[in-house]
Amino acid sequence: MELEALQEIYSDVRALGAQIIVITPELERYTRALHKKYNLGFDILTDLHLKVAEEFRLVFTLPDYLRDLYKSFGSTLDRFNDEPEYRLPVPARYIIDKTGTIRAADVNADYTIRTEPAETLRQLRMLSAAAN
Amino acid sequence: MASLQRRLDEFKKSFESGAPPYNAPREAIEIMHRATTELKATGIEGRALKVGEHAPGFALFNQDHVQISSADLLNQGPLVVSFFRGHW
Repeated sequence: MELEALQEIYSDVRALGAQIIVITPELERYTRALHKKYNLGFDILTDLHLKVAEEFRLVFTLPDYLRDLYKSFGSTLDRFNDEPEYRLPVPARYIIDKTGTIRAADVNADYTIRTEPAETLRQLRMLSAAAN
Repeated sequence: MASLQRRLDEFKKSFESGAPPYNAPREAIEIMHRATTELKATGIEGRALKVGEHAPGFALFNQDHVQISSADLLNQGPLVVSFFRGHW
């Protein structure tokens, strides 16, 4: 749902001179399918072994009991992510300005809660207005 | 199109009802709630990089195996970065 919602604001984001990028630990063969399925204008980047997510300090390890539950659903992270340790990033959306400074950070450990893309767009507009 | 949070809320309601198409067992839902509560309690949200901090640079492969660098993107303008756990 996050991907589709970002796609909905993509043209507005581009009109502001900004870009969207999605970072996931999933291997390229899965990101390729995902990209095609949602017909995305922006790239999905594979963060193998969560190197970048670690630098943003977003990585956690799935507890054993949850790992077992997902396995019972037939979902195996080690296959999708080549991640035998079952680590994941917490969902997060950042806005980074041209100097590399973080201007908005939405991090939520509850993956059923997300910032509205409209709010991200509003923050980008403010950033763009301040730069002009 | 409904807001993202409304869509997420509707999905959650449908999933947690235990009804089709997901047929999620009650125990599974409780396990997922426990995991979220415990993850929040680790303080990970507070440790993550924050507004005002410098974002680490990166160069990663996209879905077409083309390497994309944050420096190239930032040369063109601001960047929205979304960390996504995956499709599963």
